[in-house]
Amino acid sequence: MTDRIAIHTDGLTKHYGDVRALVDLDLDVRAGEVFGFLGPNGAGKTTMIRTILDEIRPTSGRASILGMDTRNKSVEIRSHIGYMPGDLAMYPNLTGRDTLTYFANLRGGVDWSYVEKLADRLDADLSKKVGDLSSGNRQKVGLIQAFMNRPDVLIMDEPSSGLDPLIQREFQTMMRDVATEGRTVFLSSHTLSEVQRVADRVGIIRHGRLIALEAVASLRSKAIRRVDLYFDAPVDESVFVGLPGVREVTGTNHHVVLSFDGRMETLLRVATDRYSLVDITTQEADLEEIFLTYYRDEEVSA
Amino acid sequence: MLVNVFTKTTRDRWKGMMIGTAALAVMFFLAMSVYRDIDISVYTDLPEAFLLLMNIPADADVGSLAYGAIYTSYGALTLAALALVTGAASIAGEERNGTLGLLLGNPRSRTNVLLSKAGSMLLLTGLGSLVLWGAGRLTPAILDVNVSGIDVEALVLHMFVNALFYGFLAMAISAWTGSRGLASGAAAVIMVLSFVAVGLLPLIESLENAAKVFPWYYFTGSDPHLNGISWGHLTVLVIGIVLLAVTAVIGVNRRDLKGQTTGVAIVDRLRANPMTQKFADRLAGSARVSRIWIKTASDHQALLLITAALMFFAMGVMIGPMYQAIDSALLSLSDQFPEALMAMFGGGDMSTPEGFYQIETFGMIAPVAVIVVTVAVGARALAGEEANRTMGLLLANPVSRSAVLLEKAFAMVLYALAVGLATFGGVVAGSLLGGLGMDASSIAATSLLATLIGLVFGSLALTLSAATGRVPVAIYGTVGVALVMYLLNAFLPLSDNVAGYAKWSPFYYYLSSDPLNNGMHWGHGALLAGLAIALIGLSVLLFSRRDLRQTG
Repeated sequence: MTDRIAIHTDGLTKHYGDVRALVDLDLDVRAGEVFGFLGPNGAGKTTMIRTILDEIRPTSGRASILGMDTRNKSVEIRSHIGYMPGDLAMYPNLTGRDTLTYFANLRGGVDWSYVEKLADRLDADLSKKVGDLSSGNRQKVGLIQAFMNRPDVLIMDEPSSGLDPLIQREFQTMMRDVATEGRTVFLSSHTLSEVQRVADRVGIIRHGRLIALEAVASLRSKAIRRVDLYFDAPVDESVFVGLPGVREVTGTNHHVVLSFDGRMETLLRVATDRYSLVDITTQEADLEEIFLTYYRDEEVSA
Repeated sequence: MLVNVFTKTTRDRWKGMMIGTAALAVMFFLAMSVYRDIDISVYTDLPEAFLLLMNIPADADVGSLAYGAIYTSYGALTLAALALVTGAASIAGEERNGTLGLLLGNPRSRTNVLLSKAGSMLLLTGLGSLVLWGAGRLTPAILDVNVSGIDVEALVLHMFVNALFYGFLAMAISAWTGSRGLASGAAAVIMVLSFVAVGLLPLIESLENAAKVFPWYYFTGSDPHLNGISWGHLTVLVIGIVLLAVTAVIGVNRRDLKGQTTGVAIVDRLRANPMTQKFADRLAGSARVSRIWIKTASDHQALLLITAALMFFAMGVMIGPMYQAIDSALLSLSDQFPEALMAMFGGGDMSTPEGFYQIETFGMIAPVAVIVVTVAVGARALAGEEANRTMGLLLANPVSRSAVLLEKAFAMVLYALAVGLATFGGVVAGSLLGGLGMDASSIAATSLLATLIGLVFGSLALTLSAATGRVPVAIYGTVGVALVMYLLNAFLPLSDNVAGYAKWSPFYYYLSSDPLNNGMHWGHGALLAGLAIALIGLSVLLFSRRDLRQTG
């Protein structure tokens, strides 16, 4: 990961009449990262994406991609990006191959063998008319279209809807590959598990405002998780009380349950020093909980 | 009947019906006020054959002229076309939008849905007829014209039933095929053919009774505006309607519903056939998607093919021999035609082949044909992609909005040229077949001017499409403006006081120089081309300034 900035927004604001779809968004997406953009439906994710793609124009503020202003340099920017719209629609009377050829011709410089490789990875059928494909298979054509020019910045709006789990996993690997090559992925989603799996950092947006911006790892370490400890003999659960990060302790004989948001190291040292630990399960807090926590906060302050 | 399906369909479509019939009302008002101003005694001396063609009674007065010219031709065609569009969209439209499955996910039968749609069509056509009835009654009162001999109610009732016939025809085709395009196209062709046939066949003595084969005969055949309601003729139409409705119900229940897909174009069929696959693949596949303008052009191929073929054969090749067939009847009428009446059809002296072609082909049909294809492309070029939500994907490529617009405009120009060329070829062939000896370069000039006038309105549709991103605004807006402009040019010159204002209509620069006789008028041609270019320039400006729409 480098410190170069792939996407930069500066007070980006978009109003539709009285509706404030996007409010003062300041955001830096670094080159070489997968950036997750999380928010519920109607939070302003799509508005943000459509604004930086110059589909719609900001009410105020500005944005740049790869250092180029999204208003003045929009055509030049678009030769460096791949885009997967959220509400994907294509030309129903063209086959997948025709569709990709069409966009490849508009772009120029698309390596067709790479397209075939992508189709292979996603198990996509390019010979059928797009209109006759199921929505998942149509989605694949859209994804190939976004990846095929090896873009420096991939912008994807809810890309994995309709994909089956196997393909989703392959798609996530593809996104990681892009980041590994130093390219950037901007992934808007409300699928928390997906963002958790692939993103390096995540921004959370609600009511058009960015309410959190964190590394996925630190978000996760912040989170409270439930830890179940199983021992081969009854233990005194009070030894865990007061350890850093331990919130709540309940115990029954061999089994201790903790609410925990600290470092595992300390906890394990205590657990193994005096007793014989048989098994440990921890239920990782997913972003869902974090998500909800943030929203609850937001609701209180709003 | 399902009240909500009925209400929704009505709500979706009432605007088109109201705009169409309101335009007709305006047209009627204009026509009657002009007829009032001019000396119409000249009409009374007209020969019978001609009066028949124009649907004018021998003792014509201002009233019967206006009702005959506007209501029984334009009015009836427009009302029927509006019903037809509604009928064609009934089931096939929802299939195309992918909403029919959702609709039928409710515990309602297909028959139920179809009948609700039919009910809505009935209501809308009825409302349209009411507007026409109101205009037909109010206009003479406002203008203080005596229309005592005219039975407006009978005329409008005949128009209503006639329109329903074509609406149900389109609905039946749509129900059987699930293709909206096919339904509206086929029904429109049948409608126009029977309109033309009923107008022209009685002029050929041996074929006098052949007109009775065509449904249009049961609308105008009895001259309802003069003779009152003909229950016999109406019964024929109503029986036809019932049969078509039953056909539609059977059709929609017996076939598989289509998903949200695709028409099958000719190239697709060729592509599926191993014999032609290689060739068709190039045509439909790689070549079709190589540029934006080529793809745009290929998207409307069916419309272009039908329009160009119609212009070539029906309006070009066939008119020559037809002139031969009825020429003696018309020749005897020469010098008796009042310029005033002919203005409506683009003017021209019917006793010469040039004049005949001007009235039949160039006066009205040729510009309408070019306008149909250019407006289809112009309106859908930008707004259509926005409505189908593909514009975002298209503009994610490194092409500017102006480039997209200009490529689409280029496709539109090609379409206009293709129709112009088909018209030119057809008329030249017709002239040769009929041995009429018309000047090919003058035919070329007139076809070129028709192409240019069509491009002016196509560019207007493009401008509206660029400015608003809404297909209906672009289509209805352009059609409305075109109608008014056509009327200004047709009627204003009839009255000396206001004749000069006709120059404000682009149509003035189409035929006022009489290009079929005088050859190309480059000044007028340049003016039309300039207007089209200016509108395209304006649309570039408007399109690059606004937010793209996210949904239709």
